[in-house]
Amino acid sequence: MKSILLRMGELYLKGENRGMFESILVFNIRKKLEGLKYKLQKTRGRILVTDFDREQEVVERLSKVFGLVSLSVAEEVDVTVEAIGDYVSRIKIGDKTFKVDVNRADKRFAIPSMQFAADLGEIVLRCNPNASVDLYQPQVTIFVDIRNNGKAYIFDKSIKCQGGLPLSSSGKALLLLSGGIDSPVAGYMMSKRGLKLQAVHFYSYPYTSQQAKQKVITLAEELCEYVDDIKLHCISFTKVQEEIHAKCAPEFMITIMRRIMMRVAEIIAKREGLGAIVTGESLGQVASQTMQSMTVTQDALNLLPIFRPCIGMDKEEIVKIAKDINTFETSILPYEDCCTVFLPKNPVIKPKVDKARAEEEKLDVAALVDECMAGEEIITIKKQ
Amino acid sequence: MIYLDNAATTKMCEQALKEYEYYACSNFYNPSAIYQPAIDVSLALNAARGQIKKCLGANKGDIIFTSGATEANNLAIRGSLRQGKWEYVFSAGEHASVFNLANALKHEDKVVHFVKLSKSGEIDYDALQSMLNDKTRLVSVMFVNNVTGVINDIARVSQIVRRHAPNALLHVDGVQAVCKLPFNLQEFDVDLFSLSGHKFHAAKGVGALYVKNNAALKNLVYGGGQEFGLRSGTENVPAIMSMAKAMQAQNIEQNYQIASQLKQAFLQHIKDERITVVGQNTSPYICMLLFDGVNGETLTRALEKSVIVGRGSACSAKKAGNHVLEAMGFNVQQIKGAIRVSFDASLSNADVVSAAETIKQTYYQLWEKLK
Repeated sequence: MKSILLRMGELYLKGENRGMFESILVFNIRKKLEGLKYKLQKTRGRILVTDFDREQEVVERLSKVFGLVSLSVAEEVDVTVEAIGDYVSRIKIGDKTFKVDVNRADKRFAIPSMQFAADLGEIVLRCNPNASVDLYQPQVTIFVDIRNNGKAYIFDKSIKCQGGLPLSSSGKALLLLSGGIDSPVAGYMMSKRGLKLQAVHFYSYPYTSQQAKQKVITLAEELCEYVDDIKLHCISFTKVQEEIHAKCAPEFMITIMRRIMMRVAEIIAKREGLGAIVTGESLGQVASQTMQSMTVTQDALNLLPIFRPCIGMDKEEIVKIAKDINTFETSILPYEDCCTVFLPKNPVIKPKVDKARAEEEKLDVAALVDECMAGEEIITIKKQ
Repeated sequence: MIYLDNAATTKMCEQALKEYEYYACSNFYNPSAIYQPAIDVSLALNAARGQIKKCLGANKGDIIFTSGATEANNLAIRGSLRQGKWEYVFSAGEHASVFNLANALKHEDKVVHFVKLSKSGEIDYDALQSMLNDKTRLVSVMFVNNVTGVINDIARVSQIVRRHAPNALLHVDGVQAVCKLPFNLQEFDVDLFSLSGHKFHAAKGVGALYVKNNAALKNLVYGGGQEFGLRSGTENVPAIMSMAKAMQAQNIEQNYQIASQLKQAFLQHIKDERITVVGQNTSPYICMLLFDGVNGETLTRALEKSVIVGRGSACSAKKAGNHVLEAMGFNVQQIKGAIRVSFDASLSNADVVSAAETIKQTYYQLWEKLK
């Protein structure tokens, strides 16, 4: 019988609360496989999916579950020398080089792994007279995984999955989603560390277009391939930007804007019970992403930490992930985001907290934040 | 809401819609089939051909139905290409369907010349003359510019081409002129002339290429040999019939007068020292404006709940630059502030006056915020 063997990398490191992580993972797997026929079985150290009919679809969906490091489509046979030998004798590898790799989780099976691998190798050679053994760089590796449940699993390859921790196992956070390349990548990276995300998007109609907002919705949909669903909070930022432009020093435009964004984000986060703010900032990428700018931005928050998973990455590295998770093509669509409107010629690169606070004094920040919240639009985005 | 983007597309008129429905649902037969109802459709199609020719004022030549002006332009230009050291001449202000094709030909190692525009927006006639010789195979100049509304003197272009490029074909993109300006193709002596149905209240997805002598053209697609072998594929009969009907329904002279009055009233009310009206000798249907200090895109969106305006060319609205305004010598900052208003005879004077006031006020508000 065909089975899919799922491996849970990092969860091995967990001690007492490993059970909790595993049950969240199983819950997430079930959610991901919704609508498909399958059976799920938890054994020690592995999860097994059996009785499925659409193999490719099941594998495709499972490969996007955080917390799984790899999976293999395997043949399940009884743990007897005869049954395993019989299956191995039917493997056709032509004139390729091969090796057999036996893993014996169930030590009740008496033949040592090395010995059994050699025995099976002989069977393969007998049935494929043109094949030859190569223990170092074989073209084909036949894996035999003997488990505690009285079954052995025979397969020839492992498919890499996302790794990380099960979604939601680390809590919930709020992602600032701009429409650029970096923020969806930041969202993906933190989801991979087990954070369940909601997102906030700031737009400045009519300075930015409806297409720019639609682009963010599309990006959120693309992220849903991994995170199932995202609650997206859209905030009109026009009034805030007009006020800053009218009243504050032009070089502080972006700095003050970011501080007010953080305040709005914090209100949403508190209301929704989210424990952190996630941004796509990368050190030194633009004026608002210098160390000093980030200090000034952080100053606007009361309590919440800001997670910046892209902080130490080069643009190229971020782009590579964006391409892997399929958000890149959408991110580069040519619609302006609200950060490019009212862009000053010389934004301040090393702002000081007191100066920023003094500039902010010129505004009725509380009223502006209230207005942002009053116009909040919430869209729930699900996997297509 | 007042719709002032009629150069992008127009609403289908009732007569055209009825005709479309009739040929889509009742008389839907394939004109290439051999039974009587199909032969009737084929006859109707040919009658439409004759009627469009008559409307254009062409006494000889054929009408090739296409999916629109973009295809007609491509067929006219690519269909005219010949092996050997031939030269191809285009105006620098052409629509993307000609301009981008001309650039593509350059990359295919054809000899391509672009004729600059004068400050007024018309093609520079002296520059055109200087680029012509007996190796010129094709000259392509649009009638009414889709961005600025500037009218090129096609009779003059034709004279220059015939005198200085005896072996050349003359192609004219007439999209913004057909059913808008009163003209007669006989006066111009052109070889190829493109038009598009949805610009004059017909269905979208249909256009035509007038071909004076179809032996001069080569087909681009292969198939059943429809449209004199120049455009294989079953004809889009409902859309074609709607186009012929829409053309027939237009009172061109009268509409021209109405449009002229509308534009005059609009210009009177939009007048401001910070607003530049682009071009001279323009079509009464199109008006290109440059707003100082405000992005045209922002203005378009700020207006969209009350007045709908265009950005020059719907086909290239997403691109930052605009090659027509660039060719006229405007700088990037000026081009950013561009919007295009385009009229239709169904509008009233009050409509355009109110639109002008709204545009002006919205502009002032934005200008105040952005200064």
